Amino acid sequence: MSGPDERPEPAPSPGPAPLPRVRVTAPRPGEPIAAPAEHPSIERSDTATVYVRSLIRSQLRLAIVCATGFVVSLGMLWLVLAAAPALDGVLLLGAPVSWLLLGFGAYPAILAFALIFLVASTRNEAGFRSLVSAGSDGGPETAGAAP
Amino acid sequence: MNPVIGYVAIAAVTVATALIGFFGLRISRTTQDFYVASRTVRPWWNASAIGGEYLSAASVLGIAGLILLQGSGGLWFPIGYTAGYLMLLLFVAAPLRRSGAYTIPDFTGARLESLAVRRITTVLVILIGWFYIVPQLQGAALTIRITTGLPSWTGALAVAVIVGLIVAAGGMRSITFVQAFQFWLKLTAIAVPVVFLLITVGGEGGPAVDPARAFPAALGPASLDLYATASLVVALLLGTMGLPHVLVRFYTNPDGPAARRTTLIVLGLLSVFYVFPTIVGLLGRALAPELATPGEADALVLVLPGMVVGGWLGDLLTALVIAGAFGAFLSTSSGLVVSLAGVISQELAGGSVRGFRVAAILSSLVPLAVALLLEPGGLAGSVGLVFAFTASTLCPVLVLGIWWRGLTARGAIAGMLGGGLACGTAILLGPLLAAAGGAPALMLAALAQPAAWTVPLAFALTVAVSRLDRRRTPRGAERFLARLHVPEGAA
Repeated sequence: MSGPDERPEPAPSPGPAPLPRVRVTAPRPGEPIAAPAEHPSIERSDTATVYVRSLIRSQLRLAIVCATGFVVSLGMLWLVLAAAPALDGVLLLGAPVSWLLLGFGAYPAILAFALIFLVASTRNEAGFRSLVSAGSDGGPETAGAAP
Repeated sequence: MNPVIGYVAIAAVTVATALIGFFGLRISRTTQDFYVASRTVRPWWNASAIGGEYLSAASVLGIAGLILLQGSGGLWFPIGYTAGYLMLLLFVAAPLRRSGAYTIPDFTGARLESLAVRRITTVLVILIGWFYIVPQLQGAALTIRITTGLPSWTGALAVAVIVGLIVAAGGMRSITFVQAFQFWLKLTAIAVPVVFLLITVGGEGGPAVDPARAFPAALGPASLDLYATASLVVALLLGTMGLPHVLVRFYTNPDGPAARRTTLIVLGLLSVFYVFPTIVGLLGRALAPELATPGEADALVLVLPGMVVGGWLGDLLTALVIAGAFGAFLSTSSGLVVSLAGVISQELAGGSVRGFRVAAILSSLVPLAVALLLEPGGLAGSVGLVFAFTASTLCPVLVLGIWWRGLTARGAIAGMLGGGLACGTAILLGPLLAAAGGAPALMLAALAQPAAWTVPLAFALTVAVSRLDRRRTPRGAERFLARLHVPEGAA
């Protein structure tokens, strides 16, 4: 569970056994607290930069698509309610259907878009991983040939 | 209402909270434990804790009160509170967890390599946190007044003192357990009474309710004001990601994917929870229209079970909702106090445990003073304004900082100050102008719900100034962004 981003700390207890807990330190004000980690895939090679930029772009595109999709579906719900004021007269369990739709109808959409994002963003990251490992296996020529 | 029920319920939830808090204290050994539970918390625990911390007085009492008072306009609040977590999942959850920083000032300061940005973010976080605690204390004041008959200020004082002591003694390790417990307490406390309410109302053929009077078309979803609703939704959607007590929770996830899974579970928990205050609000419109006055409506959740069910069962259900409501004040306030104390002690005391304790006490006393001085407004409404302010200040710098390498320190500062100034002025000026009269209705609407124009303004300022300041793009921006987005284990 230890990410590459934790700064190295002297182990508090002796012995080679890995600690179950990750140490996180409080940064001092003014100190460049999160100096970019030495990450193997973030070397200053152009290929890696291209890969990372395209990962960021695809994740951002996914997030914007999901957000837009949710806002649009919320707007549609509202449009339906505004366009059909007759729904106020239809009663279900003693309350107007329009109130019930607005009160309970949005949550399935929220969960659906969250699930879509979770699956698709994980897939984007898996794609990035395989791209990076293929690039490092095949040498710089193969990797450089990729768009 | 029988005051004994109130005393017993409040005492029970306080003792339970303190016990879990101090039981957790024994596990807490190091400074790291004290701050963020050493990132060892499992997604389910973490999600329950996030839910427990997030469901505040506004959720437990405010939503039902607002539905009773304003009709279907109140239905948008729980949607926004939940969908705010969707936006958090989409735009910040995993990258922010990977950043390695654990407060918002840590993040902005490191991302933009600027001490000034860090300082300004710190001030904003503290302001937001304090003003978010105020409605919690006002909720406590209302609850104490309604349930025990004691003067209002005792409720605010009790919550502030309890929270300050627990946080100063235990830190976040115990807070995680407390918060997880609080979520399930709140869910039970409102779900069980709702079930009994529905059985009672539905069972005997139901009391004669005229739906046209309880749910008038004039307050129905079709007749809501477009601008006010859209602006509220913008504030709630984009405000959640900047709340200080929300972000600090994500650092207790082991990695980015875990942060995402946790958020998904949170969304599920919130969706289930908000069904119940909504039902109470709708029932209240039908059964207790006499409560629909601005000062009293927020008490609907507390009094409806006793009114409708009655007898010893009614008393028991009342005790349960009081416990749940008091739990909400305790948990949200303590979550906020923990994150504020973390930020303050890091800035001023170098992150020492002693500094944290002092900051915790300070962070409970300042909002107490504000709560005692200010006239209480509607709970959901005041919390909504804090969301608008957060969305206009911290949301642009977080989102652009995570996704746009062109962001500069000056751009971030311009956005935070411009958005904050615009939104803050609107919040302060709006009620004054409305009281004075004579101002055009369009302007009053824009001031009453400012997010729809202050959030775009803040984004535009941030982007425009960063563009003009292009030469000062942080040198490490490319690497920092890579670190936020490259998945764990990609080598």
